Amino acid sequence: MRLVSVSIVCMGFAQAAPAGVIGTSYMLDEESRAASLSRIEVLLARDDVGKQLEAFGVERAMVVERLNGLSHAELLELEGQLDSQVAGGDIVALIGAVFVVLLILELVGVTDIFKSF
Amino acid sequence: MLGAPSVYRWSRLAPALLVLLSGCASIPPSVGELPYSERAIELEDTPFYPQERYQCGPAALTTVLEKSGATVLLDEVVEKVYLPGRQGSLQFELMGATRTEGRLPYAIDGSLAAVWRELEMGRPVLVLQNLGVAAIPRWHYAVVVGIDAERGEIVLRSGTDRRRVTPIRTFLHTWRRGDYWGMVALVPGELPADADRSRYLQAVAALEQTGRVEEAALAWRAALGQWPGDTVALFGLANAQLALQDFAAAEASYRDLLQRDAGLLAARNNLAVALSEQGKYGAAITEIELALAENRDPELEEALRDTQATIRRRTAGAER
Repeated sequence: MRLVSVSIVCMGFAQAAPAGVIGTSYMLDEESRAASLSRIEVLLARDDVGKQLEAFGVERAMVVERLNGLSHAELLELEGQLDSQVAGGDIVALIGAVFVVLLILELVGVTDIFKSF
Repeated sequence: MLGAPSVYRWSRLAPALLVLLSGCASIPPSVGELPYSERAIELEDTPFYPQERYQCGPAALTTVLEKSGATVLLDEVVEKVYLPGRQGSLQFELMGATRTEGRLPYAIDGSLAAVWRELEMGRPVLVLQNLGVAAIPRWHYAVVVGIDAERGEIVLRSGTDRRRVTPIRTFLHTWRRGDYWGMVALVPGELPADADRSRYLQAVAALEQTGRVEEAALAWRAALGQWPGDTVALFGLANAQLALQDFAAAEASYRDLLQRDAGLLAARNNLAVALSEQGKYGAAITEIELALAENRDPELEEALRDTQATIRRRTAGAER
């Protein structure tokens, strides 16, 4: 959410625009955020990932819901972690990566995912 | 040239910046492939500014800006992009200075083929090279003005050489260490030879943010020519019309956009602004309330509330 709010605050036109206008970069941010989210959701929808999540006692729907609360920057970070792990092909490491990232986000107070476990 | 020991201090910082700025650090597989291997191309009329001491960034930038038809003075460019403490220039500053000259900086694909196609369009390419080795980097900006595929050579405006000829292999090594970073200065309305939609739209949005609204409008129109009906480009054009105070045109553009996708609440917010600017307060209130009713995003909520408050103030002012 932080990135989005920044793009609203510096709404583009320095001088000319009337008050209240939302700049074009807002829509670009939204677009790339949606793309990140759907790529992560495709990963989470995989059977092997689902089984692993189950083993951790986590509901997939809940994870997806929490992902919706992440900012664009956080999603990109998470996606980057996932990509590097998927390239390695190790599914346990992949799940580990998800949790490491979520744990980091938890520590910096961005999400409270672990409070609900 | 970037050779003095003091350069090393900022050089250590540079790789991190490179990664941040380029976004994609992977090596493109087609980096050495050329679209037309039998030909040679050279933009001989590209100007040349032999660099003084460490100022390869300003010199290279002035070169591409002047070739694009901009009237620029090297000394002024130096003031904008040269960091005396670091005896160099950063990529984002080169791009920023390009915008202030009314040109659209576009980072090309990191491949020789992409450079070739830009040269075919008459645009020289500003590249970042690392002429040193990983441990002792020597960052250097130069301008590619020609490629001779038969001889396997690259022609650069570089340092004090008006026409430095380098083997393609050598060039690719130094360019790889510069993360294949290269940019062109587009005249607003021109598209890059290999236009990546997302990168181009980001570039235009950055131009818009620096207040170059007229130039941005031309660039959004060019985007719509390439990607007809593109939502972001339509939104950009409408925003430019609004900023240029052509409120009726902006209103029509926002309505067109909402016809395509009624869920674009940012567009509905701006439509409300466009209506309010024309004194159509009733319609403006209707639109902003519709947007507020549909919105589920707490960040956007704030912006929508602000707009609503502004319109209400203006309505009250008009009634008084």
